[in-house]
Amino acid sequence: MSPQKKLPMEASKLDRRKFLKVTGLAGAMLAVGFDTLALGSGNSTLKKLMPEDLIKGTQLNPFVTINAQGQITIMAHVPELGQGISQGIPAIIAEELGVSMNQVTIVKASASRQYGRQSIGGSRSVRSLFTPMRQLGASTRSVLVQAASNKWGIDPSKCEVKEGVVYRKGTSDSLTYGDLVANASKLELPKSPSLMDKNDFKIIGKATHRPDLSGKVNGSADYGIDAQTEGLLYATIERCPTLQGAVKSYDETAAKSVKGVVEVMKVTRTVYGKKNTGIAVIAETYYAATEGRKKLNVKWDNVEFSKISTESLDKDMLKLANEEGLKHFEKGDFEANKVKMLTQDGSEFLATNYYLPHVSHTCMEPMNATVHVREDNTVEVWAPSQSPQVQRNFARQLGIPDNEAEDKIKVHLPYLGGGFGRRSMNDSLEECFEISKTLRKPIKLIWSREDDTTQGPFRQSSVHRMSAAFNSAKEPTGLQHKVVSQAITTQGRASNGRVPFEVMEAINTHYDIENLSVRFSEYKSQIPIHWWRSVFGSTNAFPHESFIDEIAIVGKKDPLQFRKERLKSEPRFIKVLEKLEKESKWNQKLGENEGKGVAIVESFGSIVAHAVFLKKENGQVTIPRVVSVVDCGIYVNPDQVKAQTEGNIIFGLTAALKDAITFKDGAAQQANFDTYRMLRMNEAPKDIQVHLIENNEAPGGVGEPGLPPIAPALGNAVFNLSGKRIRILPFDLQSI
Amino acid sequence: MASYKLNINNKEYTVEAEPQTPLLWVIRDEVGLTGTKYGCGIAQCGACTIHLNGSPVRSCSLPVSAGANQNITTIEGISDDNSHPVQKAWLEVQAPQCGYCQSGQIMSAVALLNDKPTPSDEDIDQAMSGNICRCGTYNRIRKAIHVASKETTNGSK
Repeated sequence: MSPQKKLPMEASKLDRRKFLKVTGLAGAMLAVGFDTLALGSGNSTLKKLMPEDLIKGTQLNPFVTINAQGQITIMAHVPELGQGISQGIPAIIAEELGVSMNQVTIVKASASRQYGRQSIGGSRSVRSLFTPMRQLGASTRSVLVQAASNKWGIDPSKCEVKEGVVYRKGTSDSLTYGDLVANASKLELPKSPSLMDKNDFKIIGKATHRPDLSGKVNGSADYGIDAQTEGLLYATIERCPTLQGAVKSYDETAAKSVKGVVEVMKVTRTVYGKKNTGIAVIAETYYAATEGRKKLNVKWDNVEFSKISTESLDKDMLKLANEEGLKHFEKGDFEANKVKMLTQDGSEFLATNYYLPHVSHTCMEPMNATVHVREDNTVEVWAPSQSPQVQRNFARQLGIPDNEAEDKIKVHLPYLGGGFGRRSMNDSLEECFEISKTLRKPIKLIWSREDDTTQGPFRQSSVHRMSAAFNSAKEPTGLQHKVVSQAITTQGRASNGRVPFEVMEAINTHYDIENLSVRFSEYKSQIPIHWWRSVFGSTNAFPHESFIDEIAIVGKKDPLQFRKERLKSEPRFIKVLEKLEKESKWNQKLGENEGKGVAIVESFGSIVAHAVFLKKENGQVTIPRVVSVVDCGIYVNPDQVKAQTEGNIIFGLTAALKDAITFKDGAAQQANFDTYRMLRMNEAPKDIQVHLIENNEAPGGVGEPGLPPIAPALGNAVFNLSGKRIRILPFDLQSI
Repeated sequence: MASYKLNINNKEYTVEAEPQTPLLWVIRDEVGLTGTKYGCGIAQCGACTIHLNGSPVRSCSLPVSAGANQNITTIEGISDDNSHPVQKAWLEVQAPQCGYCQSGQIMSAVALLNDKPTPSDEDIDQAMSGNICRCGTYNRIRKAIHVASKETTNGSK
């Protein structure tokens, strides 16, 4: 986004100490805690206090405020879900601004179009904001330098900046940003400021401690579910097991007989055009609401949605795997080559299916939202959302014109207890808004873990028809990857003959195989799907990289060497493979009861390779070591890149080794952590090493790219250890 | 509805609640200490872990009546200023990502170190595998426990 015109802003005269919850020294995170918002009566304007209202100083642009003492506040506008972005973006601004992180106080912003886009997903925050935020920081530095050079009557080139101080070169004159900000605010921010030389970066590229972690080790960090306000009521919703279905009957009287229950009402959320209706119980305590919900005895009219099962879904998808499907990528002519190979002596043709199930996002913080629609149609929202700019949506439902939406509807950005894509859908906000709009009271809606696991939307399930043709020298001459699955963006409408952009993530067509074909057949089902960490990378990479191993093994090649040979035209892939080979000691001979597997995947702008090591000991198979190499181009915080990669490994291993979401009579069968199990500490690889490639390439994604390669690397290691080829996920590691 | 005296972090609170209300919700909503989290409600995930008379318990599965007149410690009570060795270690290794599970993780870790000041990896597995982390911070948590253990047993600051 281009730097906004300066808006000199005097912050509110409210006593800062009274309202702020300081969690550390300068440079720490200031979050406007919910207790500040509980002050005052229902009519009090204090209730609409937003973090921006409390910042004192002169605002040079929506992100940067500096006071006369030189204290610098930078707004963290991208919702923080654990990826460290609440530090990452301010760090980019601070770098070009010419200050150190110790001089900066980061404040979590509220939702507002003044910040540009605030939705997160697709591992794109640093990718898309790197240059714009550098420009913002640089242009802000530029007006401060201009103010100094104006004061001294010299050219700006005779000034230099160090840690928030402008120095007049060759003299002992200096002026701090605090001295300069008032005058700087009168100057126009340049549209194309000169940016720093990357070699001069002091912040970007360094492992800096995240300020938000201070509050996350003492319980003070504010998550959506932690919203507190005067007169808060709690809601829970009894939901249809098949998601879609009409309410036939329910016992409102019985629910209301529970002490503390205040209201019972129908509520609807929209999921890709489909209405999911439930019965909400609203009460003075969450416990009373859940007790009331138990007494509802809802009867559903949902026979038409009760017909599908995992078996029926899988059968349908397998049928589609036999069809030609839509073309995505065709190099050479796979079909002609196949025919040719089948008539040649000594040639081989390999065809097999891979399968992945539906899985759930399972954020540790279950879906929730807190909304207060007041009698005067002003609204306040506390919701852990990946797409927080909901003002216009709500405004239109209240008859408020778009240009008054942000004035009348305030949206806080609490921390998210995990997002993984699930929180980019605002269905829980929609439900909560509906309840509060009806009752005109502040409502906290909490989804139970059971609701969260069974109600979707889910990660897609998929079938992959993998085939390869080999010549008499056992070299592959053709490879085809046919994907059968639902698509996210085309739910709720008919297929239009085009391959939806999201479904081809992570399918590597760089492999040097003469005839390479990638095709797609879209499956339609009633099961709603949504963005899940690495999206189609989480399903496509497993068959693709497992099958590359199958191909290598036909020719008796070492899988890592095979990849180096077949990707030799791609220098970035080769650098990653060579580093992995070295760091994992790949060529070292393993013991009898050990196995190793490799996979390399490009997704969301980065290349990640994992080497997984297995050991069988005392009848138990464990994963003692995973070695990873990440090429994400220029990175802001290397420790956070490693942390995200470690997390991706655990997330991906859970999906490969733990439970699927299966369906029977149209309903999900797994509801809580007893039947939908997560990988635990004792099952995690004890030794995870992540190595970063150093280069000057544009920033690639970090939040997702580490996930796609872990399942195939694991599967390849299983084959290496046991000779058993895993083609269906999840699988039991102890049964190999 | 009944009245309960709760001693939380060395402070007395009197709350009104139905006797079967899980202690978790009373701590969060009646007392206002929201550091203890709801993750599953069936004692499977550990996000709700508190100390009852020094022992780690799952507050989602304990009725408020059982918490009355006991010594309860929540995440807010282990220090005033992030100075507990476990908190310092957590920050040193940068353990949390989204952070939602970390209150429970820390409470379990504090209880472990009170019981076993120099835990082995097996001890850590045993004590900590009841706490789920969806962000996958297990290895950093393990490292932090070893760091905290060193600081405590060395008596160093």
